[in-house]
Amino acid sequence: MNSTQSTLTLGQRSKLFMQNSPARMAFIIAIILYAVTVMISPGSFNASAIGSIVMLTLLLSIASAGQTIVLIGGGMDFGVGAVMSSAAILTTTIMNSQDGRFFPLLFAALSMGATVGLLNGICTVKIGLPPLIVTMAISNVITRMQYVLTQGSPMGYASPSFIKSVTSKLFGLQFLPSIILYGLIIIPLVFYLLNHSRFGKQVYLLGNNPVAARLNGVNINRVQILTYVFSGMFAAFAGMLGAAYMNAARCQIFDEYAYNSLIAVIIGGTSFSGGVGTYTGSIAGSLVMVVLSNLLTAMGLAQPTRNVFMGLIMIVLLILYNREKKVRQ
Amino acid sequence: MIDTLKNSFARLRRSSFFAGFVLFIIALILNAALQGPASFFSIKSINTLFAKNAAFILVAIGQSLLLIAGTMDVSCGIQLALVNVVTIMTHQVWGIPFGLSCLLGIGAAVLASIAVWVCCSVFRLPALLASYAMTYVIRGVNVMIMSVPQGKVPREWYMAYDSQLFGLIPVSFFAVLGVLLICRFARKTPFGSHIYAVGGNPRNAFAAGISPVKVQLKAFLLKGVIVGIAGLCLTLMIAAGNPLQAEDYGIRSLSACILGGLGFGGWGSVASAVFGSGFFVLIQNSVYYFFSLLVRMIPGFSVSSYWQNFVSDVIIFLGLLMTIVTAKGRQEVLREGIVRQFKRIDYRKKPEGLDGKEAASHE
Amino acid sequence: MFELRGVDKRFDAVVALNNASLNVKPGEVHALLGSNGSGKSTMIKILAGLVNPNAGEILIDGSPVEIRNGYDSRKLGIATAFQDLSLIPTMSVRDNILLGNEPKNALGLVDQRASDEIISRLLERFQIDCDPDDYVQTLMPSTQTMLEVAKAVALKPRLLLLDEVTAALHYDEIQVLFSVMRELKEEGIAMVYVTHRMNEVFEVCDRTTIMRSGESVITGPMDDFSLDDIVYYMTGQRPDKSKKDVVHSHSDGGREIVLDVKNLSIFPKVHDISLRAHKGEIVGIGGLQGQGQPELIRAILGAIRYEEGEIIYDGEPSTFKLPSKAVKNGMGFISGERNREAVFPARTVLENILAGKVAKGKTFAYMPAKANRSFAQSAVDKYNIVIGSLNHPASSLSGGNQQKLVVARWIAMQPKLLLLDDPTRGVDIHSRLEIHEILKECANDGMTILISSSESEELLSLCDVIYVFYEGCVSAQLTGENKTPEKLVAAMMGMSEDHEIVSTMEAKA
Repeated sequence: MNSTQSTLTLGQRSKLFMQNSPARMAFIIAIILYAVTVMISPGSFNASAIGSIVMLTLLLSIASAGQTIVLIGGGMDFGVGAVMSSAAILTTTIMNSQDGRFFPLLFAALSMGATVGLLNGICTVKIGLPPLIVTMAISNVITRMQYVLTQGSPMGYASPSFIKSVTSKLFGLQFLPSIILYGLIIIPLVFYLLNHSRFGKQVYLLGNNPVAARLNGVNINRVQILTYVFSGMFAAFAGMLGAAYMNAARCQIFDEYAYNSLIAVIIGGTSFSGGVGTYTGSIAGSLVMVVLSNLLTAMGLAQPTRNVFMGLIMIVLLILYNREKKVRQ
Repeated sequence: MIDTLKNSFARLRRSSFFAGFVLFIIALILNAALQGPASFFSIKSINTLFAKNAAFILVAIGQSLLLIAGTMDVSCGIQLALVNVVTIMTHQVWGIPFGLSCLLGIGAAVLASIAVWVCCSVFRLPALLASYAMTYVIRGVNVMIMSVPQGKVPREWYMAYDSQLFGLIPVSFFAVLGVLLICRFARKTPFGSHIYAVGGNPRNAFAAGISPVKVQLKAFLLKGVIVGIAGLCLTLMIAAGNPLQAEDYGIRSLSACILGGLGFGGWGSVASAVFGSGFFVLIQNSVYYFFSLLVRMIPGFSVSSYWQNFVSDVIIFLGLLMTIVTAKGRQEVLREGIVRQFKRIDYRKKPEGLDGKEAASHE
Repeated sequence: MFELRGVDKRFDAVVALNNASLNVKPGEVHALLGSNGSGKSTMIKILAGLVNPNAGEILIDGSPVEIRNGYDSRKLGIATAFQDLSLIPTMSVRDNILLGNEPKNALGLVDQRASDEIISRLLERFQIDCDPDDYVQTLMPSTQTMLEVAKAVALKPRLLLLDEVTAALHYDEIQVLFSVMRELKEEGIAMVYVTHRMNEVFEVCDRTTIMRSGESVITGPMDDFSLDDIVYYMTGQRPDKSKKDVVHSHSDGGREIVLDVKNLSIFPKVHDISLRAHKGEIVGIGGLQGQGQPELIRAILGAIRYEEGEIIYDGEPSTFKLPSKAVKNGMGFISGERNREAVFPARTVLENILAGKVAKGKTFAYMPAKANRSFAQSAVDKYNIVIGSLNHPASSLSGGNQQKLVVARWIAMQPKLLLLDDPTRGVDIHSRLEIHEILKECANDGMTILISSSESEELLSLCDVIYVFYEGCVSAQLTGENKTPEKLVAAMMGMSEDHEIVSTMEAKA
């Protein structure tokens, strides 16, 4: 292996590096992008700006935790955004600026996420249509439900203590928002699920070769449905944190997280075709997304240009990681 | 006479679009019942139905071509808005005749189609995701061309679109009919069978000397023209410009096709798209009449637009659930085919068993 | 005159062809022989335009040509009938035969009348009985194969490539095929014929090229070779007549019945099959391809539904709706379709070996990394699997080692009943023998094994009982004295026992 590598050209070598260690690659890209941002607007290099990057990266990482699991299992969840928005609305409605309602809220939000995930899972498995289409249809229904139930304008605010638990600065340091504490619970949990439990190993097998996994005795329908349930729950939790970060909620507030979480996970090297990927990569990918968004703002790009940009990034990523095999060998 | 009827029913029963056809008829009856048959079958009502939904039906037809060729394009919804924006803006800014703007609009749709083809067929990216990414790109381009909804269509153009030929047949119907005739013609050329081969099994099509990339290019070009015509129908219908409309047509047309019995690659026909999209159109229409029936029957009942949107999205979702029925229909067709083949072999063996080759006689 | 000269082809690390050559003259049937994985199919695919060679040249009538795709191949007068068929199952018989070769009228439309005539003449010639408007997927496998050949002949080629087309054909269909081949020979058409059946080679072929691990070893007229010579060139060893396989056998008396299949019918392939497996027994299922063997095994595993009959497993009627249930109850399944059904190519060797353990047990339980490693390492050591490292992806292993990986995965789980579906397909002879040894050992330790195989040799040397399938029924049950190659082959072809057959022998792997 090593002997062949030494004969490769620089281009081939960098391609190999990108494909073999996408997580490290993503961290490097993030650093480069941040350096460019600082060069364009030197004023953006300060503790509070870094703090906001940490905050948004963690939020996106938690939202994309479920997406990572689903994608590795060979599915795709476009309901992440709708679930986050709904959870945010639940948060402000249930808390209504009052402390001491965290646990009822947690219960309500997680069961909402799990229910949507269950619906997503059962429908993708049973209908046999591409998960993108099914989860998108379901997330549209959920979005419409937000409007129906709130008459278009959700009430209330997150409770002050909850807001504080997310946004206050640890040790008074500007670049350490306390959302890190939530991250310290969620991230190890995801690592346990994916890398150390039987479930995680089943997900990898399922994603890599569903036919073989089934004949090998993995109950693939059950595992696939469970991946969506986890995705719903992680998204719901991210929605709660997001509501605390934003104070108030409106309908569709976090909808863009559906697309962003997907891209973040792909940047991190998780493959659309399933069976390959790591959560470390997804965290790195989230960082890239946040830093990139900062950069686009610093460059003063308008919304339409950003749209074109996001679409092209996705296509470039697909070209890098997800080209299908040629017919002729 | 009865025999031929029976035969043609058996053929319909076996066709890939049978389940879609049944759903369509059910929706038709439901709609007619809710609206009142007299009102539903009036020229005015049919005209409105066609004028409003020709764009959607056309997009579904275009989508069906791609599905048969084993690819797809969910960005064709936003491509409608692209046609709309290009047509309106070239007419408004450059002051060229509206007819010419229309051609430019169709050209824009064809260009967008080619871009999607490059991603899906040339770069061999997963079609669903690549075309979804293209949705973002085209949306951005739309807003660059036209930042806010604006502009209008010359009066004689949209009046003409809304009229009926011979006082009977809506003009929009001709758009659909024309496109269907083109598809019918294409089906009878070699391209018509190549497209099925490429969708059904690209490797084997390649072995038979067919280039999947080229066949998919033809499918994308045809789809581009169809989406262009659809975009014009939409433009003439709303008679104004809006860069961010019709985006959901992409996914919805896909659901309509699958509901009508199309598979992913090489299975089904354009008829599936027609029945599937017809089902969607009629069901949404029915919802409208259902709500207005409720309003009339229950005093003081009122419906917000939120509710209408909610119900129509629920219906799209239920439509997807219905595809389980179509998938069952497909299995049924396969099973019947195998049974028929068995019967044929048994039939052949029994009377001629004696002069058959020695091997066949052993039990 | 068609010629391949010095052709090389590598698939990633695997060398498929190494300086291989072939030359075929007009009006001859040229046998291309070799064991599994020796590169025959790759040669065919190069000529068909499906594989791009890394080196070497193709010459037609002495001038070099380039074949970049199926279109080029067809234009040069080459037509191919593929082993895995090139028909499109979701298209009608008519469209399939005409594909890429449609007669057109002045408008550019497909000429219906001309095509009807082509089709009916072709179906007549090959004695294929089907409606031209039927979908190909509804036809029997043997009819599909005939159609594949007919489609190639319809192109009126100068060179016809037939890649193991007789593997799924019945006796009478083979005779029809041979008579067509003789007619084509008269017309001066060159043919390359790939097969594993030696009697066919002597019957229709004029010359032969024999391949071994990607190299063309020798070329010459058929008359110069005896069966022993061919086996020698294919394997590099003289067949040892004196050495008899020590057949593992024991009496059934008093042994507990682990699996009892009664009158099983599975639509559409299997009708009324009964078989029985005792504890510690190796039961074989033989037959041509597509006679319902895979379906039976999958029905036992719960992977597909059956219409009628009963499966009694371990003394109780089994109602497994999913393979996961069957695995929980002590079954294991090893498929020969490695890429599709057994190996997880992107996952590591470790995870692949662990897959059996992963499937069974509490979903959210902790799986300690250390225990996993030692489990996998001991399996690798015990079964001599050649790996780079436990952390390399399974796709980095050779075919034989991948298959051993899958075998090790299940043997390590000690299942009560092990199901194998053609487990040594495309596996080199060395690995194959190792797998056989492992299976025999397991049976001696009391594991019950049900194995289906397309290789008669494998069944004869391994099994205590062989059930032979023909058209979804058991055509013979061979035990003890009756287990002879002649009887096995006769039953596979659906021939009665008194029927005279040429001494037939399947290619030694």
